[in-house]
Parts: sequence; C-alpha cells; structure tokens
Amino acid sequence: MTKASQAKWFRLDNAALIFPAVMKQGWSNVFRLSCELDAPLDPEILRQAVNDLYDRFPTFYVRLKGGFFWHYLEQMRSSPVIQEDYAYPLTPMGIKAIRQGCFRVLYYQNRLAVEFFHSVTDGSGGLVYLKNLVARYLHLKESLTIPHTHGILSLDEKPSKKELEDCFPLCSGNYPYSRKEATSYRLSGTHEFPRFHHLISGTVSTEKLKKLAKDHGVSITAFLAAVMLQALIQKQAEEQPFHKHKPVKITIPVNLRRLFHKTTLRNFSLTLNLGVDPRFGDHSLKELCFQMQHQLLLEVVPQKMAARIATNVGAQKNPLLRSVPRIIKTAAMRYVYGRIGERKGTINLSNLGQVEVPDEMLPYIEKIEFVISPQYSYPNNCSVISFNGQTGIHFIRNVKESDLERRFFASLVSLNLPVFIQSNERN
Amino acid sequence: MYCVQCGVRLEEGVARCPLCNRQVILSETPISNKPQSYSDRFPQECRHARLTFLGFLTTLMAVAGFVSFIVCLKTQGHAAWSGYVMLGLALAWIIFVLPGFFKKSNPLVFIALDTLAVGGYLLYINASLGHHWFLSFAFPVTLLVGGLLLVAVCLYRNIKGGRLYITGGLLIALGNLLMLIEFFQHLTFQTSMFVWSLYAVSALSLMGLFFIIAAMIPPLKSYMERKYFM
Repeated sequence: MTKASQAKWFRLDNAALIFPAVMKQGWSNVFRLSCELDAPLDPEILRQAVNDLYDRFPTFYVRLKGGFFWHYLEQMRSSPVIQEDYAYPLTPMGIKAIRQGCFRVLYYQNRLAVEFFHSVTDGSGGLVYLKNLVARYLHLKESLTIPHTHGILSLDEKPSKKELEDCFPLCSGNYPYSRKEATSYRLSGTHEFPRFHHLISGTVSTEKLKKLAKDHGVSITAFLAAVMLQALIQKQAEEQPFHKHKPVKITIPVNLRRLFHKTTLRNFSLTLNLGVDPRFGDHSLKELCFQMQHQLLLEVVPQKMAARIATNVGAQKNPLLRSVPRIIKTAAMRYVYGRIGERKGTINLSNLGQVEVPDEMLPYIEKIEFVISPQYSYPNNCSVISFNGQTGIHFIRNVKESDLERRFFASLVSLNLPVFIQSNERN
Repeated sequence: MYCVQCGVRLEEGVARCPLCNRQVILSETPISNKPQSYSDRFPQECRHARLTFLGFLTTLMAVAGFVSFIVCLKTQGHAAWSGYVMLGLALAWIIFVLPGFFKKSNPLVFIALDTLAVGGYLLYINASLGHHWFLSFAFPVTLLVGGLLLVAVCLYRNIKGGRLYITGGLLIALGNLLMLIEFFQHLTFQTSMFVWSLYAVSALSLMGLFFIIAAMIPPLKSYMERKYFM
C-alpha cells in the first residue's frame, strides 16, 4: 500500500529526543506489547489489519530521519512488513531498521507482538495501538463489531489534533526542577553473547496482589517497587562491602495523561528515581512499602511534574543549544545519558496498569504482555501489566545471572502469593 | 510442577527452574513436551556490517600504499619515501584495524604485537637513513613503553578493586620511565642529563602519591568518586 503523496513529517516530542541520540549498533530503547489470541494468527489478515490502521495512527507509521539540528520522524511510504517473531523478545532494532520504520509487527503461533522504538510513543500510546490492531484483526477475521470504547478508536474518523500533539511544552511549569540526585547502585553480570535476552514472566492473581498491597497499606506499584528494593538491597549487601554501598533506586515511569488530562498518543510520561539509602540502616518490607508510597505521593503531583517537564523543555528551547548541529548534540547527549542520566536508577519498574478491552474482544484474548528492553548501561529491567484478573511481571536481562528475579519472586512466594513462572529458556 | 527451592509454579515439561537453575525432580511430564514459546529465528549478526567496514578500511589502506609506491617508483626510480608510507600504513593497520577482526581476544596480545610493529618500523627508518640511534634509544624506549602498557592492562584486567592504588603506582612508574628515556636520550644524542624529565617525574610522582593516599582515606575516595565519577 503506497502512500507517497501523503508523506508528512513530525518533530520528535521532548521525551523522544534522547532515544535517537543514544541508540547504538545492537541497542536501542524499544518496548514490546504482545497479545495472545485463542487461535493461531493468520498473517494475511494481520497484514491487512496493519495496513488499515495507517491513516488513523500517522505518528506510528514513521521512520527516523536525521536533520541538521535534530532528528525527526517522517511518515513511512508503506506499512511495515509483518514478520515471524524472533527467538527472543526485543531483538536489537538496529539504526538501519529504525531508519526504515520505527515499529515492527511480529507473530508466532497465537501471539501477536508489536515492538516500538520509544521515540514514537510510550507504553500507554503503544497499548492503544495494540488494542486497535487486535480489534481490527478480530473484525476482519471473525466479523466482530467492536464498540469504540476502552481505547478502541473509530477508523472512519481522522486523528484529532490532541492525539498528535507534543504535550510537554503545553504542560511545562515556570520554574525548573533540579536534576541533582545521588548516583545509585549498579547491577552487573556476565553478558550473554550474541545479545540474547532472557525473559522471565511471573504471573500472579491481580486480586491477591491487590489484597497483599492493601494489607501493606500501599498501591500495587509501590508494593512491587518495595519488594524489588528489598531484593536489590540484599543483592548489594552480598556483593559489596558496606563502604561501597550506594542508594538503591528504582526508576518508575509516570503516565502524565491522567495528571494533565491529555489524550496524546505520543510520548507523555516522565520517570522518577525513588528508593532508599541502605547505609542509613536496615529497612523492613513494611518500611520500604511506606517509603515508596510516600515518595510517589510526594512526587506525582502536577506542580512537581510540570517543574520536571520545565527542566527538560528548557534545555530543548535554549537558543544556544538549538543552534548546535545535531552531530555535536548527539555526542553530548550520549555522554550525559551514559555517564549521568542512567546512573540515577538501578532498574526500571514500568507498570502499565490494568488493561481494559471491550467485552466483545475478551473471549478471543488470552493474555497481554508488556516487556521493556534492557537499559543502555544496565542489564536488567522489569515491566508489569494486568489483564483479565492476572498480573504479568516481566523481567528481561541480557546477562546470564538470574539472581534478582529469584530473590524477587521468592519474596512474593514467601508472602503467600502464588507465582507461575514462564521463560524463554530452552531445555 | 513447582520448584522446591523458589516455591514458584513452573511450566509443564521444563527441565530446570529458570530462576535458580535447580533441576526439576519428579517431573510427570516428559521434558520434550515443553511448548516452545518462541520461534527459532535469530536476528542476523551485526558482525557482517563490522567486517565489511574493516574490509573496506583494509582495502583503502592497501590502495593508498600501492598508489604511493607507484608514484614514488615513477618519480624516483626506486622505492624511496614510499617505504615510510607503506610501512606506516601497515603499522596503522596493525594498531587500529587488526583488533577489530577479533572481537573477544586478549588485548595483551595486541599490545605485544603493536610494540613489535613500532619497533620494526623504527628499525626500518633507522636503517634507511643510515643512523645509529635504534639500539641505544628507540629499541629500549619502545620495549619499556610497551612493557608498562602491558603491566597496566594486565593489572586493570586481573585485579578487582584497588584501582586507585594501581593508577597511583602506574603514574609513579611512568615518571621513572620518562627519566630512563631521558637517560637513553643522553647516551645516544649526548644531550644534558635530567633536564625535562625531572619536572615530569615530580608531577607524576605527586599525582601518583595523591591517588595512593586517596585510596587509603575512604571519605576522600568517596568524594572523588561522587565528584569526578572516578
């Protein structure tokens, strides 16, 4: 399907600017949303469904281009080719591939997966695309009529301006927030060759998890972050002598759409580095839960978030920085990201929350998964998503050691929460 | 099916727990029955792109060397200055391009090879100019610099921790090496003894001592780590 005459271009939103600058051969910041259906996928119908969404999601069907001052996104001339899934999730989306298309659609047996380069959208935006792709696929295959609720968009309507806008400058505060914070404990391990990603998924009952979090007086995100902190603190204590200990912090992305009442499909989230300093003393799980809950409550308020946005937007708007050629900016951004940006957090914990779909789609969907790639300079990452009464906690890593996952899930089991483990390991 | 160590429920048919790698005992389902959750498709290795680039560089350098040889032959009638160009290119290839072909190799091998290559190049220059500075100056200096590099890489690679001590020690060793270089310079070219190397050795020894003292005082060490990412 050729759309040469309609090719448009888009500026990268504020959060997206960093990702092209730091991508390298074998690593780029990508995330994956996948959906398991009740029957094997038909590639032809899937191809048709992907084509049908082209006009409704113009900011997704794009490829990365390099301008003199900034990277930008240019609309693809045709839909991406759908491919069979790889032997492991989030296989490197190389620079060449991103210049041809910023997302890819993969299928394997019953599973349909979409992997997005982060400059296009964030997890919430990607989820809207996945739901619409599945809805279109089911419509074509099963002739289902799916109502336009729970994030399912009408393909007859044109994309609204609000869906395409970069919300960061619109929500920027007047006074910037200081970026200064302590560096954190770093995870490490024996790297896998050639770049194999281990994925361990733990499935728990959402109801039981919610009850457990409630028993500790906190939200699910705060509870999981506290369990993760506990595992990381134990790991650091075993690995390093006390005088080398550092604060343990978890990077938690915050969806700003609810906070600022926006409906954009582009990036609109910010990350917070929350944690504790184990040098101050031991923390029980209950104390860690309170720490995380209170830190989240303190930080996730519109005023502070607007100030954080102001810091990022301020750098982007600075006339001096704007006039610097992209090649120099890229080198500077890469240095700052690797040496400073990523040193503030130990691991990501990205919780996409509860996924709702129209009742008509429910019988056909067995599972929805959300996986984020390992980071630029640290090997483990964790993502969480809940669907149909089950919560999936997905750990990805590009090192051999599974110590962190073992500690985390063993903690949940010790709290009487049954965990079902699946992985992409082969016998 | 549960892991007796972690307490988690596992997929039917797995041989080992993916968390603790403990073998699953009394599995009722045959191991081969584990459903394969991912395909067998592996992405194309990026090595091809790297090898293509290195091959291109090698060809480019070979062509440059050959062209200089032909031009020299046409103008001078024999390989006069083109010998320096060709051997210089070969030296650059050994130092910068060759390691790229071996991604997971030991850098110590390449340092030793580079030292030999630099020594060989200097010997050629010495012989073709008819001078006599190779044995008394270039050879020992090349060996000493190569040796210090070998020791530095060996220490950084094999000793975990104590980086500040190693850096301090190496800086002091470098200062002394510069004194030796000036000594060989004096022997070969009859220059004055210890003119410039004294400044270098004092500065490097002070820096080295500072690193060693910083390693011995934890608050200073942690301040330096925080402030300078050392």
